[in-house]
Amino acid sequence: MQPLLKVQALNKMINVRAGLLSHKKVSLLKDISFCIGQGETLAVIGETGAGKSTLAKVLAGADEVSSGQIILESELIKDGPKHLGDSSAIRLIFQDPTTSLNPALTIEETLDDCLRFNTKLSAAERLEKIKQTLSKVGLLVEHRHYYPHMFSGGQLQRVALARALILDPKVLVLDEALSSLDPSVRAQTVNLLLELQRESGLSYVLITHHLSLVKHMSDQVMVLDHGEVVEYGNTREIFTNPQSKTCQRLLTC
Amino acid sequence: MQLLDIRNLTIELKTSDSIIRVVDGVNFSLKEGEVHALIGESGSGKSLIAKALVGALNKRWEVRADRMHWRGVDLMRLSDEKRRKLVSQDLAMIYQEPSRCLDPTAKISDQIEESIPETDQSGNIFQRRRAKKKRVRALLHKVGIKEHSKVLSSYPHELSEGVCQKVMIAMAIARSPRLLIADEPTTALESTTRAQVFRLLKSLNQLKNMSILMISHELEELTDWTHGMHVLYCGQMVEAGPTEQVFAHPRHPYTKALLQSLPDYDMALGHKQPLYALKGTIPTLQHLPIGCRLGPRCPNAQKACVVTPKLEKEHGHSYACHFPLHKQEKEHTLEQELQEHKQEQS
Repeated sequence: MQPLLKVQALNKMINVRAGLLSHKKVSLLKDISFCIGQGETLAVIGETGAGKSTLAKVLAGADEVSSGQIILESELIKDGPKHLGDSSAIRLIFQDPTTSLNPALTIEETLDDCLRFNTKLSAAERLEKIKQTLSKVGLLVEHRHYYPHMFSGGQLQRVALARALILDPKVLVLDEALSSLDPSVRAQTVNLLLELQRESGLSYVLITHHLSLVKHMSDQVMVLDHGEVVEYGNTREIFTNPQSKTCQRLLTC
Repeated sequence: MQLLDIRNLTIELKTSDSIIRVVDGVNFSLKEGEVHALIGESGSGKSLIAKALVGALNKRWEVRADRMHWRGVDLMRLSDEKRRKLVSQDLAMIYQEPSRCLDPTAKISDQIEESIPETDQSGNIFQRRRAKKKRVRALLHKVGIKEHSKVLSSYPHELSEGVCQKVMIAMAIARSPRLLIADEPTTALESTTRAQVFRLLKSLNQLKNMSILMISHELEELTDWTHGMHVLYCGQMVEAGPTEQVFAHPRHPYTKALLQSLPDYDMALGHKQPLYALKGTIPTLQHLPIGCRLGPRCPNAQKACVVTPKLEKEHGHSYACHFPLHKQEKEHTLEQELQEHKQEQS
């Protein structure tokens, strides 16, 4: 079976000032390759500074790479520094929903902006789509007139999810999106994500340090350390039999 | 010896049109050398209780309590000055988000030096200064920071969140307090640093007999090393007791829901199966329900739940619920037995 998303040899280097005139190259991502099938979840774990968030940004098209390709459904969307595809197929959800939404816009305006800039739908079609998406993530249609401050944390995470889902993405990147939530709200969000995956075959890239969630939700795990893939494989195999030291240290604590 | 004994603690916030009771009649006690956990979701008032204890709340909050005894002394009846003296001697607090709570304009060395008490120093000014420097280094080593000179000469923004948290702990234990209040000490940290911080707190508890009050919403990390557990929901204490007992036999539906929202709690739960979650969200402070505040979300709420349930206690395990889970199970089995009996007869 052809994998949905294929990432090949991603490299990212940045220049850091080393002296008065000289520069030093520091690589943030080194030769990262993986593939995700439809309806699968890849969990990315690692310590701070391992390059998890950089990877998330690169996948969503918000950051550049030096070399490497991203192939979605046998279509090249990123080849080195060039970004060929649009940002509608891979969407990113941020850690803190309270700060990632514009407080001056209503939910309808926020969602409408996504559609206006990325699709050619008419105003009536856009409204229909917004209503559909809101009910898909478990919010009411009336909620579209609300401002972000009128929601609770769990509802805001749903709004963030709606913003990601409104363009019918194939892959959703969750950058610590579940860590800041309260346990009961987190359980609700996890249920919602799993349900969406079952119904529409969404794939997730789950970036988190919550190991029990990784165990519960993911099919594959990738362990990063200083921008390198230390371990990559089936979740159960890695949890029962971790090979590398980094991974063992992460799993024991 | 009873270190802390709080009865009926109520914290109210006066707004322009109404009075909001944010913390409603919380009872709480802690013995010397014990580690207790205060668990609740955001907005449940756990940080408020800690702040009321150290007296860090401003005038807008009205704190009332039948008694708030600290080693036999009622904190509520002390004058502000005396209370401040007592609290600064015996209590220390670690706040959430360490990098924000440290002074951004001062170096770490100055900040730690400030927290070392002046009283236990002797000698002339130079001797004292040298002793202080030595003490600062010793404190940093104690919390597991090896490269002290680099950390001491840097500002908070230059350090990682984990190191900042360790510096906060170093400042908190400088006076060797009897009770350390840790307000979500690990939310900003990733798993390896978090384990280090927990190990550090654990060793402080065991070696120095320091009591610790952990405030958190992460159940899984607290269950294996705390002695007691107090679960709060919207400012009401819903369940309290020894950790193992609460963990193994939750009496309150909310505690059960919290436990079941952990993917690891129920071993029978399959991969990618939906987790158990309560419906709805935590009510906002302006719209608190009357009676049991879990009422609208509770799976077994009934008419009686509009009256606030009293805290019932048995074998050190207390809960506030009209329909606690163990009694329901008992009724359930009784009903089953009755039905079986009837079937046999017929």
